[in-house]
Amino acid sequence: MSEVLIGIGGILFTLILYMLTRALNKRFPHPITLPIFVSTIIGILILLLFQIPYETYMIGGNIIEWLLGPAVVALAYPLYKQWELLKKNPIPIIVGVSIGASIGITFVILIAKWMKFDDDIIFSLIPENSTTAVATEVTKSIGGIPSLTAVFVMIAGIGGAVIGPTLLRLFKIDHYLGKGVGMGTASHAIGTSKIMEDGEKEGAFSTVAMTICAVVISIISPLMAYLFL
Amino acid sequence: MNVVKIILHIGILILFYLVGTWIQQALDLFIPGSIIGMLLLLVALLMRKFNPAWIHDGATLLINHLVLLFIPVTIGILEYLHLFSGRGLLLIPIVLVSTVLVMITAGFVSQTLVKRREKEYE
Repeated sequence: MSEVLIGIGGILFTLILYMLTRALNKRFPHPITLPIFVSTIIGILILLLFQIPYETYMIGGNIIEWLLGPAVVALAYPLYKQWELLKKNPIPIIVGVSIGASIGITFVILIAKWMKFDDDIIFSLIPENSTTAVATEVTKSIGGIPSLTAVFVMIAGIGGAVIGPTLLRLFKIDHYLGKGVGMGTASHAIGTSKIMEDGEKEGAFSTVAMTICAVVISIISPLMAYLFL
Repeated sequence: MNVVKIILHIGILILFYLVGTWIQQALDLFIPGSIIGMLLLLVALLMRKFNPAWIHDGATLLINHLVLLFIPVTIGILEYLHLFSGRGLLLIPIVLVSTVLVMITAGFVSQTLVKRREKEYE
């Protein structure tokens, strides 16, 4: 079989996997049935079952992955649309996001270093609270492993969406801006879709926080990595 | 034609991406080229030099289906499954604890600041 056919096969496989898992999540909406989670598990199982090497799958997969670059550029559009929201509360949002993101990064670097994990694993942990598209780009530029980062991002997203509402209540974070910024900074798009259940305002601030967090993380990650490692 | 429009819009986004990557390499920056491209597009939009309608359909499509673009990367964990055995399992609680810390501090700080501001206005 020629490379082109294998490539097309990989792309079709990913598309079908995406469409099926999306339908499943629509039918049973829950953070645990999220397409990103279910499609990863089913995808891995199928590759293992049919003994398809990851490299072979990636002949097509690479083309899909490459589109993450332009997709990150596209994030400028929602940020532009939310600019008015940001302009009304720039200090609480930017300061909240920056402090939250910095504490998260400092924590993972220090604890992973203390536990003597390898540097490439620590680098992969650093951008975990940003959205996957940005996180994998950041991890590439500081020397981490993109797939590992993507999984950490997924854990941060699903974990945050599941425990977030209880956590926010426990710490008396009840203002819509605080709830949105907390969720968006920690758990990006997955958390955002969860907090949207609380209200439109929470969802809007969570979206702003997630985008600002991605920018903040992409700027401070290399600095922190340089500082601590 | 809608499909042609979407392809054109994505083409423009790719252009910003390529320019961002070029700037990153030329200046030897650590910030990913895609983020530089995004900031360029944001500035162009805010300065009203760029009509949002030129990217609307393409950007909306890419963002609505971002998850599809992640699938190849997340399936790649298959090559690193050995990392999650033994001590590596500790990476999961590390990520969860850090997520909790980030959520509490970001939420608490932003809420304190916004409530203080709301009081000033009263």
